[in-house]
Amino acid sequence: MKHEVREEVGGFVVAFEGDVDLQTSPDARKVLLECVGRGKSVVVDLSGIGYIDSSGVASLVESFQTARKGGQNLVLASVSDGALRVLKLARLNKVFTICDSVEDGLAAIG
Amino acid sequence: MTPNMTLDPATKAHDVSAFDHLELLSEMGRDFTSSQDMAASLVKAVTHITEYVQADGGALFLLDESGENLICEACVGATEITGLTVPSDQGIVGRSVQNHSAEIIRDVQNDQNFYNKVDQETGFTTRSIICAPLRVKDERIGALELINKRSEDGLFSDEDLRLLEAMSASAGLAIHNARQAEALVEQEVLARELELAAEIQRSLLPDARDDDFPVHGVNIPARTVSGDFYDYFELEDGRICFNLGDVSGKGMNAALLMAKTASLFRCLGKTIHQPGRLMALINDEICETSTRGMFVTMIGGIFDPRSGIVRIANAGHEPALFFDHDGACTPFEAEAPPLGITTFLADGDRYPENEFNIGKGSFYIFTDGVTEGYLEDGSELQVEGLTKILMDGRDKSAAARLNDVVDVIQSSGKPIRDDTTLLCLEQKSGPLVTESVEITQKITVANVDQAIEIISLEIPSQPDRLKLVRNFVTQAAGFCDCSDDVTQDVVIAVDEALQNIIRHAYGNRPDGEIKLKLCRTNVNFIVLIQDFADTIDVTKIKPRDLNDLRPGGLGTHFIREVMDEVSFLTPPEGRGNLLKLVKRIA
Repeated sequence: MKHEVREEVGGFVVAFEGDVDLQTSPDARKVLLECVGRGKSVVVDLSGIGYIDSSGVASLVESFQTARKGGQNLVLASVSDGALRVLKLARLNKVFTICDSVEDGLAAIG
Repeated sequence: MTPNMTLDPATKAHDVSAFDHLELLSEMGRDFTSSQDMAASLVKAVTHITEYVQADGGALFLLDESGENLICEACVGATEITGLTVPSDQGIVGRSVQNHSAEIIRDVQNDQNFYNKVDQETGFTTRSIICAPLRVKDERIGALELINKRSEDGLFSDEDLRLLEAMSASAGLAIHNARQAEALVEQEVLARELELAAEIQRSLLPDARDDDFPVHGVNIPARTVSGDFYDYFELEDGRICFNLGDVSGKGMNAALLMAKTASLFRCLGKTIHQPGRLMALINDEICETSTRGMFVTMIGGIFDPRSGIVRIANAGHEPALFFDHDGACTPFEAEAPPLGITTFLADGDRYPENEFNIGKGSFYIFTDGVTEGYLEDGSELQVEGLTKILMDGRDKSAAARLNDVVDVIQSSGKPIRDDTTLLCLEQKSGPLVTESVEITQKITVANVDQAIEIISLEIPSQPDRLKLVRNFVTQAAGFCDCSDDVTQDVVIAVDEALQNIIRHAYGNRPDGEIKLKLCRTNVNFIVLIQDFADTIDVTKIKPRDLNDLRPGGLGTHFIREVMDEVSFLTPPEGRGNLLKLVKRIA
């Protein structure tokens, strides 16, 4: 899994590429929590995600909760069908704000 | 022998004694009561009377159901007019019926009401008539008419008329009684049919089981047949399917829909083990064919005695109650409409499900006939009253506790106002891990034997192998022509199961051994995953409560959600864990 972080006006955009699973989710978690820790809202771009498992979902949830505690937001953008299936299994599709694109995501956190 | 039988017929009527008369009447009465054939009895009665009064002919007319026509039901001598229909306000016979009076017409040709069509058609000459109404109290039944006295002048006497009047009154009563008896027989037939329907309904309820079986139920219909039902049955793998439902309305139509719903559950429940999906299929069937406006509220579920896990779906039914070992109560409210209302479900192709571990608690499902049941003081039992009875009886057996509830409702002195049905699920002994796993293994090993092995794999317990396994499973599922959705689900389940082994069974140790075997049957894709870590306590594997947003612990929930069957078998080497995952592919 690769990741890329860029800073936009409204907050960070974190893009992952590859699979977020037991092997890679600790890295994903670290990246996300660092961004949240810098006090800005986050758009997580999932367009490059092939597979995300429960540990990946757990990283998203943890980051989301941390952001909320700090009065920030964390939204998901460009969620692939596979990732959406997993989010639905966890009934998290109603918890996260899911945007069609990164632009929509930035608008949502702005 | 009747004393006057030998007398000259011409003088007989005048010498009639009260005894003869009574004898004739009682004979007529016996005829009507002993014979199943009313028409034959009528002919016999008319023959007796005609003979007794010495007339050329006699006819008995009965009013039809509408009361608008008089139909000749029996006739002797003179001309055959059986079946002749006259408007009930015409003719001499009609006049007699309308006026409730007996008449003697010595010269019919001068009577403006005389119906002469029969004479014209047959060439018979009617000279005189006596006619008397048949009635019971104010109810008009018909009339009895005699034609032409067998004497030289052919005229009837007043005495003849009085005799006919007396016999008509008796004949009227006899016919009335015979009709009532017929109606009673019909009622009895209907009652018997209803009783047979109730018997078939009772046969749809499961037989009561021993006290140590986890499910018990009771059903008391408010009428002969019931709109409520409950059922439970064991699956081959040892799990138990159960349900309780309430059809809207009462009576025969509700009973028929109950029979249909209960049968669908039993039939489909044997192959579909996800309550939410099962109920959605039943819903489709009922929506497709149900009478408009009828619906069924139902809770369906599946219970695994090995792990203690209960999974239910509630379609518009009263909240079910779960009391944990300490008596704390959790209600399970309906999150979807009753069956038969709409095929559009918020969760797509299934009713929403709830899952919990029963531990040593008790789970109750009941119909509103229970909570709305009357108490002795005229108030309703309500959920509070029900809770109290169940809690007071917590040391009794489940069956005894359910009977306590029924007793309270039945002892109010009032008739039960609605069908009353309760079901209890509990496992006082706790989960049955060891015994049941053996049973499961016997069955599942047999099933796996029939399966074709696709491919096997051994990996070390290292997270970086998961991606390889996912690709491997994807390829194998494709090899078995699994759809993309099925493949995606199997990949999720295998990945999560391996994660659990790596993290929990081996505690992130990298040198653990994991064996994976992929098989297929005609209908299923089967994954067997074996590890060699310490045997885990399956009762402690609890899917996470989805209302709780803490990270982690999701994997088990994912596996159960996406697979049709998840079970732990006893591994062949006697150590470690063997997990079997089954996904339907056809």
